[in-house]
Parts: sequence; structure tokens; C-alpha cells
Amino acid sequence: MCGIAGILYKKDATSRNASTGHALIEMLNGCQHRGPDSTGFALYGPSHDDQLRMRFFIGTGDEATVATTKIKEILADHNAHIIEDEVVGNNYRVVVEFDGNVQKLSYDLEHAAKVISIGSSLEILKDIGTAHEVDDVYHVNSFSGTHGLGHVRLATESDVRPEAAHPFWATGFADIAIVHNGQITNYWKMRRRLEQRGFEFNTANDSELIAVYLADKLSQGFRLEEALETSIEDLDGTFSFLVSTKNEIGYAKDKLAVKPMVMLENEDMVAIASEEVSLNKLFPGQALSTMEPAPGTFCTWHR
Amino acid sequence: MKRIDLSAISVREGNELLRKMAEQEDIIEVLNPDAQHHIGVGLTSPCTVKIRGSAGYFCGGLSDGARFEVDSNAGWGLGDNIYNGTVVVGGNAGAIAGVAIRGAEIVVKGNMGSRAGQVMKKGTLLCCGNANFMAGYMMYGGRIIILGDSGERVGEDMSAGDIYVAGKVNSLGSDAELIDLPADELDSIMAFLDKHEIGFKGSFQKIHNAGKKLRYATQEPQRRSLPFFKHSAEMTYWNEKIQEDVFVKSQIGRYRIRGYGTARALPHVSDIAFRKKIDPDRIESGVVDQVRMRTEIGGINGAEPLKLSMPVMVAPMSYGALSASTKRAIAIASGMSDIAENTGEGGMSDAQRGAAKQLIFQMLGGRLGWNIHDMKRADGLEIYISQGAKPGLGGQLMANKVTKELAEIRGIPEGIDLRSPSRHPDILGADDLVIKVEEFREATGYRLPVSIKLGAGRVRDDIKIAAKDGFDFIELDGMQGSTGAGSSEVIEYVGIPTLSAICEAMDALDEIEFRDKVQMVLMGGLRDGIDAVKALCLGADAVAFGSSAIIAGGCIACMQCHIGQCVTGIATQNPDHEDRYSPEQEALNIHRFFESVRWQIAAITNALGYDSVTQLSRDDLVALTPEAAAITGLPYEPEHRDETDAIAIKAS
Repeated sequence: MCGIAGILYKKDATSRNASTGHALIEMLNGCQHRGPDSTGFALYGPSHDDQLRMRFFIGTGDEATVATTKIKEILADHNAHIIEDEVVGNNYRVVVEFDGNVQKLSYDLEHAAKVISIGSSLEILKDIGTAHEVDDVYHVNSFSGTHGLGHVRLATESDVRPEAAHPFWATGFADIAIVHNGQITNYWKMRRRLEQRGFEFNTANDSELIAVYLADKLSQGFRLEEALETSIEDLDGTFSFLVSTKNEIGYAKDKLAVKPMVMLENEDMVAIASEEVSLNKLFPGQALSTMEPAPGTFCTWHR
Repeated sequence: MKRIDLSAISVREGNELLRKMAEQEDIIEVLNPDAQHHIGVGLTSPCTVKIRGSAGYFCGGLSDGARFEVDSNAGWGLGDNIYNGTVVVGGNAGAIAGVAIRGAEIVVKGNMGSRAGQVMKKGTLLCCGNANFMAGYMMYGGRIIILGDSGERVGEDMSAGDIYVAGKVNSLGSDAELIDLPADELDSIMAFLDKHEIGFKGSFQKIHNAGKKLRYATQEPQRRSLPFFKHSAEMTYWNEKIQEDVFVKSQIGRYRIRGYGTARALPHVSDIAFRKKIDPDRIESGVVDQVRMRTEIGGINGAEPLKLSMPVMVAPMSYGALSASTKRAIAIASGMSDIAENTGEGGMSDAQRGAAKQLIFQMLGGRLGWNIHDMKRADGLEIYISQGAKPGLGGQLMANKVTKELAEIRGIPEGIDLRSPSRHPDILGADDLVIKVEEFREATGYRLPVSIKLGAGRVRDDIKIAAKDGFDFIELDGMQGSTGAGSSEVIEYVGIPTLSAICEAMDALDEIEFRDKVQMVLMGGLRDGIDAVKALCLGADAVAFGSSAIIAGGCIACMQCHIGQCVTGIATQNPDHEDRYSPEQEALNIHRFFESVRWQIAAITNALGYDSVTQLSRDDLVALTPEAAAITGLPYEPEHRDETDAIAIKAS
């Protein structure tokens, strides 16, 4: 019940006049009618191999103080040394020096706090409100990275809460994010399979399942396109989703093609969205040579 | 030539301007369309609209007589439901291009998305490139010409119409058949291509309906019908009903079909009662004038509301299931009682429109009888998702009810066993639904309330979706609701009882704090004013009566509505049978029934100590059974049993 968007610039930032964050704000603004409840972004900043960027929902007031203290304790337990931290909106954002096991650290953090994202480069910004409202609080515009994803959500089956907003981080796997439009009908079957192998889930949202499913494949040595290919067979339901890693984005579309998806590719960039209206937001007034991915297909682009 | 620049104004303003300009101008140019939705929706003046760029969803939809030229691409639902007119797209079209067209010529110069021409009735859809899967899905007529490849499952479940493919036929859909192309049809195709200046040399293969699937080979044997109480009697083994069921199945080898709703004993509003003892002897004769019953429905977001003299309307029942005379009688009665009538699925007739003071126009997935002109003369619009008697399933209208006249108004071939699709081509989720609702509002200038009819299934989620998608009101239909024809197993066993449905719906609205932002109309086996007041107490803003209205007008509840040989002339399209029905007289009977409902609502409301129906609340109710208490959360107080019977007797 939503709209999705993704963009990857093939060239360096100098050749364009707007940031990746700005492009995604515009694209989501174009399809906000598909999901007025909440908006979210997965953005990639400059990466440092021995550093992790983390974001948590901490709420406000005393609740926030308690949450922050707890997070700091766990980071200390794992020898994650805080380099910088700040409170933005209802987020606690922290950058740490860390060279241990990310999955173990993140599961420990999950048990104590509401993790939004963890990655050497990835940061997920999401909250209740429109693209512009979320930008006002979290400064999405300032992210100039090379690629990112966005999502607008109409909450139907779960509450309007910031935690239920997309994108979803692949819990336990650094730098992997997903946005999804649709419904996975074999959610519980797939989730149990992954849980039996030790993976943890942070929500009951089917989009998180796709993220963990793909991350698991990647950690087994699959390339992203191979993981997307198997996802079309393994996941049952209606879906159009976008996935991003540290240096690539990709899409997969179910065989029924119930959920829309339109893409535009040129030598500078590839942009994918639920509706062409989002793509036109990047190129106002122009007639675009867009294409609709065929049912049951997938594709990836990397930097 | 005039210009409209959509970078300066909204689509809504642009469409208003377009409608005004089109009355005088021949050519209008739309600049900076930027793939925005609903461009040109509802345009009914002959003019040419040149769209300089890409158009979004439903470009040119619900229009009649105009020509649209889109330079680049078009989104989903290109030319939706166009009556007559032309659309030419220079690039690609998204899914369901030409959906439900009733006579348009649509030319897509590039490729087109999946399910092109779904439920189309008449006209031509041309794709110069390749089509995606299921082109011609459930089409009822017209033709699709594909110069490239057909895509998978072309012609899936088509009822009629022709599909011509010049490229590769990737695979055939269910009940579709490949045949040689008749020479005269080739001439007609080439003439169409010439007319639209499409250069093409090559040959075509033709695909049409094989006629093997969508027809019943064996009809049910006609038998003396079992009365409703035999159906609803306790289930003992091998009773009359079970025996009949087994016998009929032994003849036809499939599920049975019947009319009406479930006959099983299920929790219902009769399992709850009023907390306060109502003494029929103390009800004053002028009580109707002492209670405020006027109810406005649908104005919550600024549309012109339905103005009901009491919180009651007629439930949607189709011309098709019912005879034209019956629909007219109900319309007259609704006008006399100053409540709203509903067209149901089968389109709007002049007689019905003329007789009903307030009329809701219903749209189903098959878009049977749906069109812009009747939308404009309706007082409310309704998107049917499902009905309580058979949630999740489409409608069935057996061949002997699909007469020439009926086929014409629905835009389908005469004499087919008509299955209405169970889902909409363009409503596949809450996100698409938002865009569809907006299309209706654009087409009718935001004047009419738009409602959604939901059969009770996954009530909690469905209600939340409906509320969030901005409908003006919701019509919720429980399992005790009736149908003109449905599989008897489904009617008996599938659904959520009306009582559970309204309670779940109210909880859902409370959870998202939408109680005051959308109105609720409850239906599904509500029988009289007593049931109505209970529904109002539980949170409904109004109720709708279907079965009780037709029973008031002479129906004998034999449940054989689907056969088409209704002895009372109600559920038939056979003129000999229909002659037995006297619309003027039955209109008076139905009207008197509605007045008895009015009296009951007033009497009970007054006896409960109120002077307005809006003061009724859950606090006025108790549960008579443990099940009803569990369902409603009302206190279990069985000692109140039977107290309202006296009111029922006194109502006249």
C-alpha cells in the first residue's frame, strides 16, 4: 500500500545540480498520494571501513535519555568507540569505530533499542509525515551520495508509527536496505525458515523479510542479481521492490505484475519508481523514454 | 488553439479549464503534463486535446466524444471506459490500456502493459508494439489489434470480441482459441490502420472465445422450491433440503446456485435487545414528528450529501437480477419515502432515474452499464468491492436473464451466462484505489459523494483502508445479506455475520481515530425498524434494506431468483412473468413498508428517551446470548428477550 522510488547516479556528483536526497524527495513528493502516512529514505554517505553509522528511534524526553544510555552501554560492551553522536528528531544518530561481528552487535542492540539502520555507509531516515516534512526534520536534502531508495506509506495493516515506516534495513546485515510495494503471502513460512537458521526479525512487516532474505543470500556468496532471481521464485505474493547495498541498487517484480513500476535509464543515471509521475519530477516538462519492467524480472546496477 | 500549463495549475484546475474551453475550442494543448494522473477525465465535448509529454493514470478516462493525443507515454488505465472518442499515444501505455471502453478507438504506437482491454465492451484497441500478458482479459466485445507479439495468455477468459495478432502468439488464455482470419475482417483492420496512418504489411492470426468454459452445460432441474424456513431449519441429517441438494447435484455434477442469503442460524441483531423496557402502550401517535430522523450521508469531505428523511436507504440490487418493473417500483417507493435508491450493478435506466429522487450509481469490476453520462446524473457514486452474501466472488447472471435489452445497457453479448469479475482491473490495492476515487471526483467535478461497498470479510483491515482512502461513506454488508445468484455453499458458509461486521468496523475506526471522518451504512439481513435502531446504536449512521424491500413488494422468498422464471415477476427478465408485476401498486406497498420502518425508528428512539436518532448509542443495548455478548462486548442480559416483539406487532 505505497509508492517506491530509487535512484543511482552512474557518474560523480560534480556532473549534477541536485543531491541524491533532493532527487528522492522530489520523486516521493510526486507519488505521495500513494502513501500519505509516512515517508522514508535509505541514503548512502561516504564510507569508512572501520566505522559504522547507526540510527535508533529513541522517542522524546525521559524515554529518550533511558534509550540513549542503554545504547551507549551496549556499544561499550562491544568495544564500539563512539566518534560522533547527535539527536535528530526522534532519532539518535551515532558513528562508531568497530571491527567486530556486526550481526552480533546489531542483535544485542535490537534487544535493547529500536534500531533503524546500521552500516558503514547506509543511513535510513524515516518518520510520520510527507517527504517534505521528513526532510524538514532529518535534512534528507543534505545527502549527496551516489544512490538511494525512498518510500511513501499508507498504513493499513499496522499502525502509523515511525518504526513501521519503510525503508527496512536487513536486520543484522550492514548497508542493505529495501523498499517494497505489495504483499508477501508466504511471509510466515519464509520467516520461520530464516528464524530456524538464527536470523532475528524486528517487525512483523513483510518488507523486512525481503531484506533479510536477500542479505542472507548475499552473505552466502550470491551476487545481488542471483539473490533477486531466487526471490522471484521463493517469495509468493504481489510485489515490486527495490534493494540497495553499499554500491548497487536492483529491482524485482513478481510474475503477476500487480504492483506498478516504471524506470528511466540514461548514461548518467537509472531511476525507478511506482509511477512515471515521480520520474517526471526529475525532468519537469520533458517527455521521457521510460519503460515498464516485465513481470517476473529483475535487474541490478552498480557503481 | 488554447493552452493549459499544468506546471502552473493543478490537474483539477486544469480539467475544469479544459471542460470549459472544450465547449468553444477545437484544439487544446496541455503543456507540462509530467505524467500526472486524470488528465482529461470526464470530458464530454468534442475537441482535440494535445498532451505535450507523458500522461499518468486514466488519461482521457470516462470521456465521450473527445480526441486525445499523448506525445509520449501513458500510465495505467489509458482511456478508461471511454464511450466514444479517440486516444493516440506516441510512446508506451501502462497496464490495462483501453480498460472497459464502450466504443473508443485507442492507438498505442509503442508497447502496452498487461491486461490491455480488460472488460472492454466495444471499440478498437490498437497496439503497434508488443502487448504484455493477458491482453483481452475478460473482454465482452470490441477488438484488440496487436502488430507485435501477443504476450502470455492472450484472451484469458474472454466472453466475446476479437483479438488480432500480427506477431507471435506467446500463449493462449483459458477458453481462448486461435482461428484463421476471415478476409473481410482483414479489410476492416487495414481500414482502421489506414485511418490512423499506421503503415503495416503482414498477416494476422485471430483469437476468439472457444465457448467451452464460461457456460453451464446442464441447467439445474426445475423443482418445486423449498420455502425459506425449511432451509433455515435446524440441520438434521438427510432432511428435505439435504436430499434435494444431493439429488440436484446428481443431475448437474457441480455446485448449485440459488438466490437470497444464508439460511443458517447465525448471530444477528435479533440476539441483542434494548436495555430499557419499551412499553408499546405509551408510544404516542404523533411520535414520528417528535423524533429528528433527517440524516445526511456523504457530505463529510465537502461533496453534496444525500439528504435522507430517515437514516435508511435501499440496498444495491441490479436491474438484471431484478426486472425493470421492480427496479422502477423500488425507485418510486424510495422517492415517496424520501430516501436513496441504488442502481446495483446493471446500469441506470431512465425510468429508475426519473422515479428515484436520490440515486446512488454502483460500479463493479465488470463495469457493466457504467458510463460518464449516468455518473453525472447520479446523486452518489459507489465502488463495489464485494457483497456480504458472497464476499470475494463476482456476480452471476444466468443466460436466460441476459436479454437483448439487458445486454445492451450492460454492453455485453445477449444470452451469455454472465460472470461479473470478482475484482476490479484498476483496484489492486489501497494505493490504486486512491487514484480511482480521485478519477471519479475529477469526472464529476467533486460534486458527488463517493462510497465503497464492502462485503464483510477481513473487516478490520478493509474498513481502515476505506477510511484512509478518503471515501465519503462506507456501505458494509454482512453475511445475512442476499444475492440474486450465488453458489449455495458460499451463500451458506462464507462471510462474517452483520452483527460481527459492524462491531469490528467500529473498533477499526476507533483504532485509527477515524470515527468522525467517515460515515457507515450497514446492511445485510436487516429486516425492519427495530433492526435499524439496533444498527444505529452500534454505530451505523444509516442502514440499507434490500430483501425486506422486495418482500414488501411481493417477493415470496422462494430463493429461485437465479432461474429467471420468478412467479411474482420480480427476479425475471421474461416479459410474461414481468407482466404479473404491477409496479405502481407494489411501489405503494414498498413505500408503506418504509413508513412502518420510519414509525418503528421514531417509536423506539422516543421510548429510549431521545428526540434524535443521533443520540442512540451502544449504552442502549444488551446482549441476549453469550455469543452476541462476546461479539459485541455488550452486557449479557438474557432477561430482556422478546420485549421488542410488541413494537413489531404494533407497527403499521
